[in-house]
Amino acid sequence: MIGAALLLAAAVWAQDTSRVAEAQSVLAPLVETYGVSGAEGPVRETVKRMLPAWAQTETDTAGNLWVRVGKGDPLVVFVAHLDEIGFTVTGIRDDGSLELRTRGGFFGSLWEAQPALVHTERGDVAGVFMPRDSGVTRHTPPPLRVDVGTTSRAATMALGVSPGSTITMPKRYVRLAGTRATGRSFDDRVGSTAQILALRHLDRAALKHQVIFIWSTREEIGLEGAQAAAAALGTTARRVHAIDTFVSADSPLELANFAVAPLGQGAVARSLDNSSITPPAYVDSLVQVARARRVSLQVGTTNGGNDGSVFTPFGVVDVAIGWPLRYSHSPAEVVDLRDVVSLADIIQAVAETW
Amino acid sequence: MKLEGALNPHPRGWARRDATLQRVLARVLQHSAVPSPRFGVGTATAVTLLLSVYPAVRLSTQTSVDRLAVRLAGMTAVTGLEQAMADTLLTLVPGSARDRAGNVTVSLGKGTPKRLVACALDEVGYVVGNITPDGYLTLRRVGAPPTALFDQQLEGQRVMVFGARGAVPGVGAVKSTHLTRGRAGGPGTPDPAFTVDNAYVDVGATSATEARALGIDVLDPVAAAKRPHVYGDRLLAAPVVGRRATCAALAAAVQAKPNVKGTVVAAFTVRSLYATKAGFQSLVKLQGPFAEVKEPSLTARYADTPVETVALKDADALAQRLIAWMEGR
Repeated sequence: MIGAALLLAAAVWAQDTSRVAEAQSVLAPLVETYGVSGAEGPVRETVKRMLPAWAQTETDTAGNLWVRVGKGDPLVVFVAHLDEIGFTVTGIRDDGSLELRTRGGFFGSLWEAQPALVHTERGDVAGVFMPRDSGVTRHTPPPLRVDVGTTSRAATMALGVSPGSTITMPKRYVRLAGTRATGRSFDDRVGSTAQILALRHLDRAALKHQVIFIWSTREEIGLEGAQAAAAALGTTARRVHAIDTFVSADSPLELANFAVAPLGQGAVARSLDNSSITPPAYVDSLVQVARARRVSLQVGTTNGGNDGSVFTPFGVVDVAIGWPLRYSHSPAEVVDLRDVVSLADIIQAVAETW
Repeated sequence: MKLEGALNPHPRGWARRDATLQRVLARVLQHSAVPSPRFGVGTATAVTLLLSVYPAVRLSTQTSVDRLAVRLAGMTAVTGLEQAMADTLLTLVPGSARDRAGNVTVSLGKGTPKRLVACALDEVGYVVGNITPDGYLTLRRVGAPPTALFDQQLEGQRVMVFGARGAVPGVGAVKSTHLTRGRAGGPGTPDPAFTVDNAYVDVGATSATEARALGIDVLDPVAAAKRPHVYGDRLLAAPVVGRRATCAALAAAVQAKPNVKGTVVAAFTVRSLYATKAGFQSLVKLQGPFAEVKEPSLTARYADTPVETVALKDADALAQRLIAWMEGR
């Protein structure tokens, strides 16, 4: 059985183009790094390790990571977020179990009765998200708690767990059939990956103006890192491109009324969401850039907010770009790696030509 | 209620006792017993090599139970479709054979009294019920759900499909959080539990043809991906881990080569969860009569959930009790 699985894996991988393989080599370690909103340090360090050697990084007081390239106006900003959904510890009960606060929006049922990891300064502590006690059969569980296998508050604290520690569940990047992959926190590790790939391939000599790439913090809890970056730049930027998930209705469980962007058909101009509207002329310009470079690009509308929206009060136009994602904010998000490549290519094209 | 035998907080003690075992377990814990075709093929190969080499090392009963429990907890044995697990037990239990019902049995000692000790290795699970034109798998449950929320373990989680060409990873589809806003299924709307009839398994295929090319077909077993998880003081969490740790204790007891009083038939039985408990009943009719029948079990916390939990020290103690029972002590 194991041998058969390995053969199947080899067959799957043999189909990869070099671009898909490169995208995977960046995306997988980013997905397997933990960084709940407000605790993005490990993800930021992983991004730094994968940037090209020439890239000079700065970390601002909000924890955002910046890379500046080129000189002159108009200043263009790309922003993808580092953080992921999860929990923080709000209290430790007498029986040693942990009380939690959610960080970001998601279905609690997807975490109930699953393995847990508590991230502490002394390392990760394993536990489980406790199943509900009663025979309640509704979908949504009561507020979740975590059992780290102790029986007293003192024993839990002795493990290094304290209020403020962040909690996730163990995660892995796993290849599916063809060029599909699953994991948790593709939102927004795919955006972070695409910015890294774009920088690796960027023709710096072709830049006609300054471009800033930002990997932001605390997006899931209110675009907080991006707000700090937007305030720092003020009115100096002309355009911002939020590089974030296009939540797709490409699923048997979703209504196809909108958000119709099939996986595998390229990046998506996220033209209308709950936080911003891209002016139609800018959507048209983005489509022209994609066509000129023969990059696959879809155009659509979806739900959710994006980091670029907090730049708009400074007179900056938000031209958000995403990629189609299934099962958003679940432990089993699904992407098509060809879309990651497409997203990186459109970022590079925009930076070099628009 | 806390798990009996888990009251002594000593989170690092296990590691200190056997660092090598911990490293092996760490590998096993990251990967199901049947590795998925994924990024870490090299790691999966390393796990396989480690598991094949490790039995050459002399193990105490305790470390043997730990290793076996983690290994069995990482496997899937949907009731009536337990062949892969049975194959593994045949390699782990010296002298064992498969009977015509599919049970794995080994006869120890000779003469009278003739006694039976049996553990059930199967689990409630699923098979592929249909493949949609766009490549999704729909499911048929096998066995009665132990709780009303049992099927919910599939929703938005990774699953494994055991097809003709090997294990294929997939996910249970779930509505995207963002797209439920302001719609049915969002906050404040009716909230029925997820059932198997809502389940679509996404293996990444875009057509039924592509799914079948992966070796997937109707009736292939499907289960939530098994990721045994150690926490606290040697607590092991995994689906049906109570059964798996019990079978691990029995296997460890047999591996310890007890000085058996009379004859003891040790059996790992199939189909305990479907209709007529056919595996066990066949065993009794085929190899009985027995002067005594023992069906051990371990107390589990969070029973029938994906994080069902046993204390490995309880499994150790069970193995010791089984050895004593086999020896007539």
